Amino acid sequence: MSNAAQHHPVPDPHRPVLDPRYAQPFPKAVLPVLRNPQLRKNVAHAIDVIQAKRARLVTEKADWQQLRSAGAAIRSHLLENLAAYLEEFEARCTEAGGMVHWAADADEARRVILDILREENASEVIKIKTMTSAEIQLNPFLEAAGVHAYETDLAEIILQLGEDEPSHIVVPALHVNRSQVREIFARRMGLKDLSDDPHALTAAARTYLRQKFLTIPTAISGANFLVAETGSVVVVESEGNGRMCLTLPRTMITLAGIEKVLPRLQDLEVMLQVLARSATGERMNPYTSLWTGVTPGDGPQRFHVVLLDNGRSQMLARETERQTLRCIRCAACMNSCPVYRQTGGHAYGSVYPGPIGAILTPQLMRMHHAQTLPFASTLCGACYEVCPVKINIPEVLLELRSQVVNQERRQGARFFDPMYLGLRIANLIFSRAWLFHTAQFCGRIGLRFFTRGDGWIHSLPSIGGKWTQTRDLRGLPPQPFHAWWAERNRTGRQEAK
Amino acid sequence: MSATVSTRRQILDRIRAATQSVAKAPDELAGAYTALPRSYVRRGGLTQQARLALLIERLREYDAEVVECGPDQLPAVIAAQLDESRKRIFVAPPGLPSTWLAPGFHWKIDHDLPAAEIEKAEGVVTAASCAIADSGTIVLHHSAGEGRRVLTLLPDWHLCILYASQVVETLPEYFSRCRRPPTLATYISGPSATADIEMTRIKGVHGPRFLHVILVDDLGAPTILN
Repeated sequence: MSNAAQHHPVPDPHRPVLDPRYAQPFPKAVLPVLRNPQLRKNVAHAIDVIQAKRARLVTEKADWQQLRSAGAAIRSHLLENLAAYLEEFEARCTEAGGMVHWAADADEARRVILDILREENASEVIKIKTMTSAEIQLNPFLEAAGVHAYETDLAEIILQLGEDEPSHIVVPALHVNRSQVREIFARRMGLKDLSDDPHALTAAARTYLRQKFLTIPTAISGANFLVAETGSVVVVESEGNGRMCLTLPRTMITLAGIEKVLPRLQDLEVMLQVLARSATGERMNPYTSLWTGVTPGDGPQRFHVVLLDNGRSQMLARETERQTLRCIRCAACMNSCPVYRQTGGHAYGSVYPGPIGAILTPQLMRMHHAQTLPFASTLCGACYEVCPVKINIPEVLLELRSQVVNQERRQGARFFDPMYLGLRIANLIFSRAWLFHTAQFCGRIGLRFFTRGDGWIHSLPSIGGKWTQTRDLRGLPPQPFHAWWAERNRTGRQEAK
Repeated sequence: MSATVSTRRQILDRIRAATQSVAKAPDELAGAYTALPRSYVRRGGLTQQARLALLIERLREYDAEVVECGPDQLPAVIAAQLDESRKRIFVAPPGLPSTWLAPGFHWKIDHDLPAAEIEKAEGVVTAASCAIADSGTIVLHHSAGEGRRVLTLLPDWHLCILYASQVVETLPEYFSRCRRPPTLATYISGPSATADIEMTRIKGVHGPRFLHVILVDDLGAPTILN
């Protein structure tokens, strides 16, 4: 029996699928994006702006590399000792009046949250942007159970009202431009005369939400960090919608992945310095909130934390994969990725797109889905260079690629796949000198028919045409290297005599 | 509840099994933590004047208004700021000095005011715990002079009074000043903002759209932090 299957909505052909179990493989999923110039323009524009701001503020920080090293060390230490720090967090949070729940998977987390909402008699709930809730597909589940969730982050409102899905983990509506936002708001908020000025659009969102903040008594948030030492939760935001949700309601539910813990409060001095700079190119985001359990007279008087595993504990065993969980969700990797820049986030078929998504999603799916994602990269390493906690994403990508290949090999799948066939033939040829020389000889003769006067091959037939469709290939030189080397040695020796 | 208890056991067991080769023994954990490399800048090198200048520059860069004054001028400067705001109804936390509550305005003191009452106020005046020059950040620990969290959230206009002795240069300096960890904290860096539409920074979404800071020159006077 799977609750997940029960509440999975009928796929809407106009809505991107961000569930790795149902999404198209990456090479197929990118096709509609590549044919959508407006979307690509929106993504490229937004990314160029963030990248430029980030670069300026990172250059300004003379100790940036030292901060990265400390960030990586703190997060590694945390993950290696995760059980101890989780227990410490649980104890401190409980002492401070919080209720800590544990959820092994998405299904359990959804049910724990629904049980709390039922206890509160909640039919509506306000939400701070949380990718973890998108990971467990909380909103459609709550809707089916009769609880309407109001997203309150501007980007999330755009997506919720536009019946769209997030394409970025920090700026989820980055693929939507101002006139598209205007159209969505005008239609869904009934504002016929709304202009497409971002100020007017922002003001419309403020008005739309104000009464909801003041009247809906239950809220759901994610967490940027949990502090083991104090049992505190930290939420980082810009708009103030977060502060509204975690201050005004009577009851607060925080959903957090088990890897979100930091050992001590002081660790924030590293994380807060690198997070906003990496994420939005700000020295510090406008609002950072920290709270500890329940404070009499200030904020929600009932507070729950749901600690979510959902595949994370499986990633802890080996260092290569474990580093994935160091992630603090700044999105610098996707902003720097040449592949993401062209495809945007929806093609990744997961709420976690870009390079971090390419390594996180398949692992969260225990390598049963999203197997094409580790290949959605050029391995250029830009993501590793910008990562504030030094996750070696290319290294993890390669490891996951080999896992996918071994898995397919074991299953005997793709035995006749042209790529695998080609690689097996190459293996045969490259391991025997005589075969290699013969193949070279044949290739030299064969390719001569396709090499033009300028020394370049502009088009090849059949499968080779896929290469020459978009690029030229240099023709083979008249003499292979080993022949040239042998000749050079001969003539060199003669000259010496 | 029993389902959750066994889930807890199950998750912790899985984590322990996966990390058994790297996890430290309980008595070695603190030592391993202390040994983590921290070669980043802990303490800034600016003079007091340069530190204050940096704070002002960074606050202004993110659209906060800053004025400076001496301790004796403070009540008059507060009154002038309130006057300039063209607002009449203000809320204040119960712990503010009475001299800060300028006459001629309608003051509501927050003795557990309902949110709807605070929402009706046009502005709020508070003290602060600390400020960080490097990032232009104001720190509230929500003590009696800083008010409950809701107080600095609903009104559209926030006037924050900050003493020069409360200003540190770097974020690590702030954390080393926290002798007791705060149970509540809000770090404010400029007024509420968003860049969700085409990465255009728009000032003021849900939090106060206007942030004013009075920086009081009390050099040599004792800090009121913690």
